[in-house]
Formats: sequence, C-alpha cells, structure tokens
Amino acid sequence: MPEITYAEAIRSALWEEMKRDERVFIIGEDIGRYGGAFGVTTGMLDEFGDKRIIETPISEPSIIGAAVGAALLGMRPVAEIMFMDFVLLSLDQIGNQAAKMHYMFGGKATVPLVVRMPSGSGTGAAAQHSQSLETLLMHLPGLKVVTPSTPYEAKGLLRTAIHDLNPVCFIEHKLLYKTKGEVPEGDYQIPFGVADIKRAGKDLTIVANGIMVHKALAVANRLADEGIDVEIIDPRTLVPLDTEAIINSVSKTGKLLIVHEACETAGWAGEIMAVVSSSRAFDYLDAPMRRLTGKNVPIPYNRVLERAAVPQEEDIEREIRAIVKGVY
Amino acid sequence: METEKNQEPFLNRAERLKLSKDELREMYKTLCTIRQFELMADKLYALGKVHGTMHLSAGQEAVAVGIRHATRLDDYLINHHRGHGHFISKNADINLMMAEFLGKEAGYCKGRGGSMHIADFSSNNLGANGIVGGGIPHSLGVGLALQMQKRDQICIAIFGDGASNEGVFHETLNMAGLWKLPILFVCENNKYGMSMAVERVSAKLPIAQRAEAYDIPWHYIDGNDLLTVIETVGSAADYIRSGNGPVFVEAQTYRYFGHSKSDRNLYRSKDEIETWRLTKDPILRFKNNLLENEVFKAEELVVCEEEAVKIIESAVEFAEASADPDAATVTEYVYA
Amino acid sequence: MPVPVIMPKVDMDQEKATIISWEKAEGDEVKYDETLLTVETEKVSIDVNSPADGILAGILFENGAVVPVATVIAYILKPGEKLDAPGHSAHKNASSPSSNTDKPEVLPEKSECQATPVAQRIAKELNINLSDVPTKNRIINREDVEAYAASLSEEANIPDQKSDKIAATPAARRVAKEKGISLSSLQGSGPHGRIQEKDVKLTIPDQKPTIATRDAVIVPMSSKRAYIAQKMQSSFQIAPHIAETIDADVSQLEAMRSRLNANIDPSGKDKVTFTAIMVKLVAWALKQNPYLNSSLIEDQIHLWKEINIGVATALEDGLIVPVISDADKLSFKEIAYQLNDLTQRAKLGKIGLSEVQRGTFTISNLGMYGITQFRAIINPPEVGILAVSSVVRKPIVIDHRDTIAVRPILNLTLSADHRVIDGVVAAKFLANLASVIEHPEILYE
Repeated sequence: MPEITYAEAIRSALWEEMKRDERVFIIGEDIGRYGGAFGVTTGMLDEFGDKRIIETPISEPSIIGAAVGAALLGMRPVAEIMFMDFVLLSLDQIGNQAAKMHYMFGGKATVPLVVRMPSGSGTGAAAQHSQSLETLLMHLPGLKVVTPSTPYEAKGLLRTAIHDLNPVCFIEHKLLYKTKGEVPEGDYQIPFGVADIKRAGKDLTIVANGIMVHKALAVANRLADEGIDVEIIDPRTLVPLDTEAIINSVSKTGKLLIVHEACETAGWAGEIMAVVSSSRAFDYLDAPMRRLTGKNVPIPYNRVLERAAVPQEEDIEREIRAIVKGVY
Repeated sequence: METEKNQEPFLNRAERLKLSKDELREMYKTLCTIRQFELMADKLYALGKVHGTMHLSAGQEAVAVGIRHATRLDDYLINHHRGHGHFISKNADINLMMAEFLGKEAGYCKGRGGSMHIADFSSNNLGANGIVGGGIPHSLGVGLALQMQKRDQICIAIFGDGASNEGVFHETLNMAGLWKLPILFVCENNKYGMSMAVERVSAKLPIAQRAEAYDIPWHYIDGNDLLTVIETVGSAADYIRSGNGPVFVEAQTYRYFGHSKSDRNLYRSKDEIETWRLTKDPILRFKNNLLENEVFKAEELVVCEEEAVKIIESAVEFAEASADPDAATVTEYVYA
Repeated sequence: MPVPVIMPKVDMDQEKATIISWEKAEGDEVKYDETLLTVETEKVSIDVNSPADGILAGILFENGAVVPVATVIAYILKPGEKLDAPGHSAHKNASSPSSNTDKPEVLPEKSECQATPVAQRIAKELNINLSDVPTKNRIINREDVEAYAASLSEEANIPDQKSDKIAATPAARRVAKEKGISLSSLQGSGPHGRIQEKDVKLTIPDQKPTIATRDAVIVPMSSKRAYIAQKMQSSFQIAPHIAETIDADVSQLEAMRSRLNANIDPSGKDKVTFTAIMVKLVAWALKQNPYLNSSLIEDQIHLWKEINIGVATALEDGLIVPVISDADKLSFKEIAYQLNDLTQRAKLGKIGLSEVQRGTFTISNLGMYGITQFRAIINPPEVGILAVSSVVRKPIVIDHRDTIAVRPILNLTLSADHRVIDGVVAAKFLANLASVIEHPEILYE
C-alpha cells in the first residue's frame, strides 16, 4: 500500500468523491488558489473549477448556512472552517440549523453536510487558533463527530461522512496533516461507530482520539518492555460512539484511562466514564477510572506553556504507571 | 414608498397584472383563510389547547398572498417564524398545519416542530426558522444549488425587520450580490422586532436601502396593498429568473397581535393598532377595491369568507381528532 | 507546629498496620515516648509512642483502621496550640495561594536543609515548612515540595477510611459476591487499603463454597490470621513437602531434665522444658546436617552459619514463632531461660519483631496435647520443620535377645523441602537426632 500524508488522504477522499458525484462541492475560505490554510485542497480549483470549489468571503456563519441550504436541495456540500475555533462563529448554523432540521421538521428534511475543521494545539497559534472543541459538538443531537487519527482513517471516514445524510463535523488535528501512513488504493469507507483497537493489551485500557492515539501508542510500546500491557482504543467517531468496544476492553483490563487534548471540564472523557460505569464493565473495574486531558486553559502561545497545556507522552506514561500501581 | 401607483385605477392595475376574476376571488379567499387561521389560533390558545407559543401574522396577509401569486409554486421558500400566511398561500394542507400547530403526529412535522417550525419539503417550502435571521444564509446554498443544478427556480428568502440587524443578513446579501444568486429577499417589515420599533434599532431607513451596499436592486413598498406586492415581486422574480442576480423587497406592513403570547403590547398604543386596523387593513382594502369596482357583489365575498371559516373549522376538527405522537418515538428523527 | 504522629514502619516488607487500640484520647496530655496506641502488623503487635511532649489531638484513624505506614495518624500540640483541619493547610492554600498576601510577611522557619528558590516560593505559597519536606537530593527541589504537598492532601482525603463502608473496587466486589466471600474478612492491597480483585481471588477456597448459603458465625480474619493463611498456603504450594518419621527412646532425656531442674530458680524462669532440650539437640543435629539449616533463594541454596531455631507457639488468635538465635552455642539453661521469656511475652503480645525473625529451622511441639504423630508445614524460607509429638510409654524390644521393656518413646516427624532435601538427607538428620536423644552424652564428645 502506498504511504501518503493525512492531508493527502483527505484531499484524495474529496477528489474521488467529487469525481464520483457531481453533487459534492467544497465551500470555504481560501480553499482555491491558496489551497486552504493547511493546503488540503491544493490543486482542486484547477481540476474542478470555481463553481465546485467555492471560495467565500470571511463569513463563517453564512458558509455553514449556505452549505445547509444546498444540502436541503440534495447537494453534498463539504464546508471548510479554517480553524476549529471559528466554529464558535458558525455555531447557530451548525447547532440550531443543521443539527436540528431533520428532527424539527419531523424527519422530512435531511442535511447531508460535512464541516471540516482543523483542531488542536502545537503550532504556536495561541488561544483562538488551537482549541479542541469536539465535546461542544458532541452535545448537539443531530450532529456526528469524527476525529480521524491516521491517513487511512482520514480518507475512509471522510468518504463515509460525505455519503452520510446527516451533518458531520470532521475534526482534523493540525499536527497530523504531515504524518504519513498506508492508505489502500481504490474505494473504501470506514463505517461510523466502529472503534479501532490500535493496540491490544491486558493491563489497562486507554481511550484516546486524534493525535493522542499516537502519543498513547508510543508510550504503550515503551512500557511493553516493562511488562505493562496497554490496550489502546481509538473510537474514531465520538458520535456515534462504539460503546461496546470500550465496555469490552474495560471488562477485560479492569482499568481505564481516557486521553484527550480537549480540556477537562465536561470533556468527553467524562462521557466515557459514565458509559463504562453504567455498563457491565463497572463490575470489572479494579481501579478508579482516570482521565488525562488538556488543562482548563485557553491554549497559550509560549512553546513551554503550550506544551504544558495538553497531555504529553511523559504525562501519559506517568498516568499509566500510577493506575497500574494504584498510586495516584 | 412605492404604493398604489398614484391612484392608477384598481381595474387598470388588475388588468395590467393579468389578474382574472377567478384569481382575484381565490386571493380574497386565501387572505380570509389566513386571517381565520390566525384568529382560530388565538382562540385555541385561549382555550388552552396550544402547548407552546405562537407568532401570528394577522394584518400581514397581503405580503404572503402577493408573493405567492407573483412567483411560481415550485420556487423555494425560506421563512421566518411568523409564517402561517406564507404556508397557506403556498397551498399547504391546512389540516396538516393545524395538526402541527396542536402538536399532533399527523402534523407536517409529526408534532416535533410546532407553530414556529412548519415545513413542507414536498412543496419546496424549506421551513420556518425560530432563530431570527437563521434561515437567511440558507438561501445562499439554495441559490448555489439551483445554479449548479441548472434549474430556473428562484429562492424566496423571507425575514422580518428584526433579522436585518443580524450578521448573517449582511454576510448573505454580500455573497448573493457577489455571486448574482437567484434569490428574492423579502423583508416583511411589521414595524416591531418584538417590542423594538424599527426606528429604534436601525440607523437608517428604509431597511431595503442596505441592499445598495451589496449591489442588489431594492424596493420599499406598501406591503398591505396586494396589487403593489404582486407587481413588485412579479417583476423582481422575472429579473432574478433571467439570471440578473438577487433583488431586495421591503414590504411595509403591521401585525395586530402581540409578538407572541407573552406580549402585553406595552410598546405601542391601542390607537396605533386601531388606526392600522381601520384604515390600512390589507383585506379590507382589497375587499373595498373589489366592491367599489363592482368586481364582486358583497354576497359573493361573504361566500368566500364563510368558506374560509369552514376550512379552518374543519382543520381544527381534523387536528383535534388526531393522536399525539407516541412518547416511545421521542428519539426518532434525530438522525436520517 | 503540630507534631505529627506517624504510623511507623517496623518491618522491611511492611506496608500497613492495623490500629488495635488507642491508649490515649484526644486532649490527653502525653509525654515524649509515652505509649499512645498499639498497632498490629502482620507479624507482631507494637506500641507507638509519642514523638513529643504535648496534647494528643486530631486522631485520624480509629481502632480497627488499617493504615499505610508513614501516614499521619494524629498530632501532638503544644499547650495553647490549635490544630487546623488535619492535613488541610497545604491543600487549602494550594487553591488560593494569594491568601497569604493579606497576612503579615512571615519569615521562613530556619531550616537546616537548603532549597531551590522555586521550591522556597512554592513551599511558601503552600504554607509548607521546608524542614518537613523529605528529599533524596542535597537540596530540596520543586518536585520534593510538590510531592510532599500531594502527600498532605492525600492524607486529608484519608478520613474517608473512617466510613463503615469497605473500600473495594467494583471488580473485587463482583468476585467476592460470585464466590460468597465477605469483603470484611479481607485486607486490601490497594491505595488506602482498598480491596483489589486479586485480594479477593487469593482467598478463594479450593472447594466450591456452599458456605455462604449456610448458617454460620462469620469470624473476620485478623491480619495475623490472614498472614498465616497466606504464608502457609504459599509454603505448601511452593515447597514440595516430604515427611519422615522416627521413634526415639527418651529415657535419658527425662533423667537429664530432672538433673537440670534440680536447682531451679524459684521464679521458674530457667525451668528446662522438654522443648528447650529439643532445641539444643536439634541444633546439634543441624550442625551435623547443614542442608537442613538452609534456604533456597533464587536458585541458590544458602547454608546458614547461624543456627536459629524457631519454636512454634500457639496463641489464642494464631501462631507465633519466637526464635532462639545461635541455639547450638547456648546451654540448656540459657535456652530454657530465653524460651520461657519469649513464650510468656508472646502470649502477652509483647514480643519484638527481631525476636521472630531470622529463624533457620522450626520446631513444633504438640506433645502436651497427647498427639502421637503429626506433620507440620515448613515455615519459609526454611527448608525443614520438626513435629514433636507426645512421649508415650510403650513396650519395645530393647536388645537382640528380643527382651521387651516399657520405655518412654517419642515420635518425631520431619517435614522437609524436597527441592533442597532428599529423602536420605532427611533420614540421616533424623537418625542423628534420635541417637543424640537416646545418648545425649554425644553432645559433649
């Protein structure tokens, strides 16, 4: 299988879907000549023209609003919000319009819409260009929330998102764009609501998404030499969530650590804990469930502070050891 | 304001607009049906049969009927939450509307939407919006889709005076003007955004002149004069359908009822409401025109009025006989 | 500053201890080194003495609580001094470091240790006295202070332990329920004594328990009982036991014992018991058979130079094994004196930890109960244990002419760890022992 980057994988999904289905179009800021703030749509304007690569003024609410309108007419818009933080500008259109229409209109409206949004810290872009807001979106019934961690998943999940009849928030971690991975050639999709066991283990379950999957994997592989055998579950889609996979894993290991970059208070780690503690896995817990998350701060600019604001490998390692040893 | 074309005789105008006698009768009946629907809604509310709130459009009927008549039935409609009149004009099934109003499973939205969220996608009615201005940017997508799908419908985006101060209003006008999208913007100015008189919230009036900034032609018209609405909207629709881009129409009108059921009308005088009722009522004006010009005899119009009452009464009967949704289905329709 | 009373660590592998009884109450005036309470480890009971003169205050754990070592269990105050809510000073101030700003500047207490500027700042913010902060480094650093602060706030959380609820993980509860095991009978190995799944699994009886469904008086396992259970089980499972039996004529010993006790001290402290004599003789036999005086440690057999003989002693609630060190070098009288003293103190629960450690071989004597033969389980890491039964007078053939006479006969059964001791080695040991019993004069050859 060829190795391509995460950004290339996303482009490839967009490209193939636009070739396959003329209802698919892209709308957003600077996605044409510039190729998107992170270069994801590079070259697509030349291929598909400005009627399908629609570059907008800086009007985030109406970018999503336009996509909603087009989706109501059976189009398959893919909107790009340049930084996930700007989703807060579009929140009425995402939360009150896209998310609610199918229900509010008694199942008669469908809004097949994908909103792509780069999330996360690590680029020194500071507070208004670095946040991870997936929990906010998870709280809005009607939305699906996807956080691919590898090029393979980025492509497979994006294709599924474009085929889905619901509004899908497709969250891409900025630091992943340049990461490489094997992506099969040809048509494939990854179904929503199916977690991936990134590493099987017996001592402790880690549920992590996006870039935290990679950090957790690196630590787990190191600790394996010491006989600490960590299982890593990547939910891949937070809505719908593969609760079974998590419950099964925790029932096996008896210990749970959730790692996400999104900040702690009311973060989705709490949701996972609630799922586990209300399931049969509760009776297999042999340690308190723990979470390791971004701190409750806006992402700072300074490199040292920025690093300190979100979980790093050493933090994950420390947490794993603490849980396994029962010393917190 | 563009009004009765400086006393051009009613019959001349009707002829110029190619309005047949049947069409005039039908429009009168629709005006009456809308009015009866709103009066019945108010009554049902008083009887405690309505669960939530509602926003009534009595006094604004000519805007709804005029727009509908001047555009095509398959044009797309995006609507505000005071939209009963527009649905009725667009040939909605009044039984299903009333059932939705009473929250019944048989309603347009299976009781999930209620008064504020009636939609009928089968007749290209894309739904009313509870968020002021929330539907305006959807018109961009509808316009883009119509262009991409190479269809000749237009999108009619109707909103109130209050929505014109939302950010998305300006964003949408900008993009629509920029991309010459097939959108008819209709600002249904009923003078108040909840309690705030339009003069108290807008730096410069009329609202329609804001379209100038986005290179969109605009009209500020008497929305209580049916033929004026038909004439302005009709020519605007033709202009848009010919690929010239959007047009903005501001229709001046007035609502008789409060903003919603919790409104005690503390921000306006009873005199003001009475003056509009007696001298500018859109139905009364149309009726007088029809009678004075001997288009119809009084008895003929009474028949229309009685038919309207019957339509509404039977709709209430239908709605009341309908079942509530099953509580077990509460989580259905969250996802398609 | 209040002086903390700490749950002491008295044994190398000890992690916790149970509070048996408080001798003093809150508000009592206490003197330095005066006994405050008694605690029980898995092996022994010990007194915890006051670290200072003052008033006892802020008792954090009541009788019966299982407390990790090094945990603060109470405070000693100077007269007039008041106690903040236990452990809360660091915790509270940690969340509002600015609360110091409206107080007059307090000079840091003079400390013998040096600290980094950051550590000093943090310690000040957290209202921590640097001299209280343990460090492995030459100077106290930030990590030391934070770790200490964390330990304080952890202590602040510990009062949860006072709850009558049992701390156990959901998995432990599930297994306990499935297996019909009462959690109250278990000792937790988790943080703050929390019962983990493995703690329950370790106690699962071999046969399927129908116990839970039948009427029974439920007796919670004491920590001593649990320790014995665990130790005996692991011994029996790990060490493959072989057992050999020999009979010996103790006529000579009885005569010798009468002689030795002829001039007994009125207190009876040096009264030579049958067991005391056996200690001496076994020590001699061990010297002839060094492999019986050994331990198997990580694939290496350690032949101990010392011969330290443990004497299993029954207590009301279990068993204790006081050790007579260098038994081969002591006289009968010396052994008797030590053994009497140890046995008496063991029964009072006043035995020191060092007095039950470092045994190399054990004797278990059930003769006084009329037991004629039994096998004992090895006391690891030892490799042998001698079961001493009752002396029975019986007719035996005493010479090659088949003369029958009645003699006092003692049955001795050796259990040995077959990993180290083969049958012949065990047999030689028993033969040596029997011969020295029958001919004690060999001792002096």
